[in-house]
Amino acid sequence: MEVREGEGEGRGEGPGELGPLPGGHHGLSREQILESQRERLLAAVAHEVAARGYRATTITEIVKFASVSTRDFYELFDGKEDCFLAAFDAVHDHVAELISTSAASEPDWPHQVIAALRAVLGFFAAEPDLARLCLVESVSATPRIAIHFREAVLTGVSALARGRAELADPDSMLPEAESSIIGGAVSLATRSILAGDTEKLPELLPDLADFVLSPYLGAGRAAAIAAS
Amino acid sequence: MAERGYADVSVELIVKRAHVSYKTFYRHFGSKEECFVALFESALDGTEKKIRARLDAEPVPWAEQVALVLRTLIDAIVADPVIARAVIVEAPSVGPAVAERYQQATKALVPLFRAGRELNPRGAELPETLEDTLAGSVFWSAYQRLVVGEVEQLDAYLPVLLELVLRAYLGPEEASRIARADAPTRQPALA
Repeated sequence: MEVREGEGEGRGEGPGELGPLPGGHHGLSREQILESQRERLLAAVAHEVAARGYRATTITEIVKFASVSTRDFYELFDGKEDCFLAAFDAVHDHVAELISTSAASEPDWPHQVIAALRAVLGFFAAEPDLARLCLVESVSATPRIAIHFREAVLTGVSALARGRAELADPDSMLPEAESSIIGGAVSLATRSILAGDTEKLPELLPDLADFVLSPYLGAGRAAAIAAS
Repeated sequence: MAERGYADVSVELIVKRAHVSYKTFYRHFGSKEECFVALFESALDGTEKKIRARLDAEPVPWAEQVALVLRTLIDAIVADPVIARAVIVEAPSVGPAVAERYQQATKALVPLFRAGRELNPRGAELPETLEDTLAGSVFWSAYQRLVVGEVEQLDAYLPVLLELVLRAYLGPEEASRIARADAPTRQPALA
């Protein structure tokens, strides 16, 4: 296990005290240190959960990997679930930003959907620990985490529903259709990760683009755009 | 278990709820996981049998088969949300063996959906992953209602899911017609 050297600040210190930092004259405020510890803990929870699953992960392992004291852990988080949710939300915010940035330069809705799918698949393929945290572990780690997962998936509903403008009658599709479409797409990605194919997620792009677009554009047009 | 999530449930709680002694529990099951697997298997077997029975009762066209299967699945979930939650929400976190079994169970819909390709002149060109994704849509819809404890609303998903599946093979007009007109209604006993 990797334990970064020289970053053991705070470990074993008494209450209210801060351990010596490397170099001694770092000029970091307590807030800045906590922020950096928080980031390391988020990376650590992702690493540990990806390696052994949520249930088997302990705070002891998280703080060890992050080189943060248990005391500082509890200053930042209520417990394992809280730390996990913070990591989940951080990734979700990042992915949401990726989606809006990648879609911004596309001319129309179908290409925006494809750009968003490409960005998300590429991100998770490059970050297998985060893919596991967000798309496998969060599904059933705890009831509260499952609700977070559900809400995160459902944030895509309104963007997808814009595709109804492509339909002759936007109400011809039943309400809740978007939820089912997005859920199916996410499930396929989850299945790939479970099968050990996280790095191959981008290969799902043509199939997923076809799946997501065809209810709005018709099978022929969706397949043509998805293949292009 | 549905109230607390699998990880939080102790054997103590199970025996209390079931009004059985520890001795009885351990005579039947070696561990909490074994108990879960038994519950899981019996729920899956029961639902699979119900589905097979309804399909074998009379031969019906493909679209109606899909409607019947989705109807039976949704009825089973609505009738027993506690078990459904255990199978659909909790199973993936219990352990690799149970997670694998759950993946297999969701795959049971794949051959049924896949038969729809024969009704489509370009069926062979459809994406290879289509059936897996559609099965994912079905189980996601159940999952996302179970997670927030609003399983009754799953009923409203039958036409949505039916239309989604049929549209992929039969096109929008046909799918919409069948999904809205011919969706089998819920069994009166469960209404």
